[in-house]
Amino acid sequence: MQEGDYLALLTGAWTTLAIALPAIAMGAPLGLALALIRWRKIPVLGTIAAILVSLFRATPSVTLVLLVYYAVPQIGIQLAELPAAIITLTLGTMAYTCEIWRGALMAFPRDQYDAAMAMGMTRGLRFRLIVLPQIARASLPALVNEMTLLIKVTPAAAVIGLVEITRAAVRVGAETYQPLPPFLVALVIYAVIIGTLVGLQRYLEHRQTRALAI
Amino acid sequence: MQQPSEPLLRIEGLEKSFGGNKILNGIDLAVAPHETVCMLGPSGSGKSTVLRCINWLETPDAGAIFLRDQRVGCHEDGKKPMSDRELSEIRARMGMVFQSFALWPHLSVLQNVMVAPIHVQGRPKTFVREEALAMLDKVGLSDKRDAFPSSLSGGQKQRVGIARALVMKPEVMLFDEPTSALDPELVGEVLQVMRQLAREGMTMVVVTHEMAFARDVASHVAFLDQGRVAEHSTPDAFFTAPKTERARSFLKRYTRGS
Repeated sequence: MQEGDYLALLTGAWTTLAIALPAIAMGAPLGLALALIRWRKIPVLGTIAAILVSLFRATPSVTLVLLVYYAVPQIGIQLAELPAAIITLTLGTMAYTCEIWRGALMAFPRDQYDAAMAMGMTRGLRFRLIVLPQIARASLPALVNEMTLLIKVTPAAAVIGLVEITRAAVRVGAETYQPLPPFLVALVIYAVIIGTLVGLQRYLEHRQTRALAI
Repeated sequence: MQQPSEPLLRIEGLEKSFGGNKILNGIDLAVAPHETVCMLGPSGSGKSTVLRCINWLETPDAGAIFLRDQRVGCHEDGKKPMSDRELSEIRARMGMVFQSFALWPHLSVLQNVMVAPIHVQGRPKTFVREEALAMLDKVGLSDKRDAFPSSLSGGQKQRVGIARALVMKPEVMLFDEPTSALDPELVGEVLQVMRQLAREGMTMVVVTHEMAFARDVASHVAFLDQGRVAEHSTPDAFFTAPKTERARSFLKRYTRGS
């Protein structure tokens, strides 16, 4: 492997992050929104949310990315490869994190919520000051787990032509007739990305939350 | 019985069912300012449900609650329900203490006490901090202000719960079996705080099984049975000469050995 090959793999890593990080940043809050809609049992919207979650969970990422890439231009919106991949993985993450958030919401102690109501907190304050800090903490391990899974489905974006880590490794292997070295480098890159995520989780778990609410 | 002044809290014809089970069957009760009313009765008689209806944590099926002549939960005509904001405003005028303490475990003791006055009442933070510290001092927990609830004993948790409610300067305090989840040796420290509150003239509605507390502190007692106020009298009259058979057997069970 030459310098240019390493560069190609690092460019692939950049593409992987360019897909995964926006998908996490949008998917997790959207999942929370869906979870709240289902938790409050809002009629019609709650049912729609449940159907969406089931649909996206049932569809393989490769299928979904092709669907988004070819379907969206049909309604007159031009969509480049990167946005198509981001949208696809955002929808998937939204569906999975929705279930994580919903689990935490259902396990939230009723009496704490009652106390927040009795103290005169409005719905928004109850959520922001009492519920959210606690469910975020409770959900963190499962959310990070979902993020690591998300990193690992980014190769699905290769089917619409994006060159992320794995696709870059395949290319380098084909050009040098030595498939093994680029895949070992790819492995190391994935390990670094996921190690960083897990490290971030550790940091957040150990950080004092005292400055959080007030 | 004679009311010393206009009631601060008035409950009229309260009815509530859970899944076809009629828990409250027409409760009437009035609490005058500075009074302590103890609600007694066998478990399942609806005491806690009455309390939870007062600040609309439960929505009654029928009847009305008035706090200083303002209707709780709905507007004057009794039809249009209050909005979330309106409900929050009226709930903030009533303090509540829970059997399970219901402290917020992600906040320190001091934060538990400070969070509502700052965010609900919009009082300035430095001012609230001073009052919160004074309140913790009053319940004897100054040294625990930076502790988190998980490190406190049950009695300490409940005293924080009382401080958290008091710092809002409520017009009435609602106590929902405040000592029922406590080890017997910790009951005293909580009751002592409540006695002091009563002496200072706080208006209180207390659901309790502590008969000695009711006898000593209550201005009057309401004995609930099968969703009704079966007896309503002074503690003296109730404990020495209960009028109903149900109250007699209840008292026999609860004062045995004491």
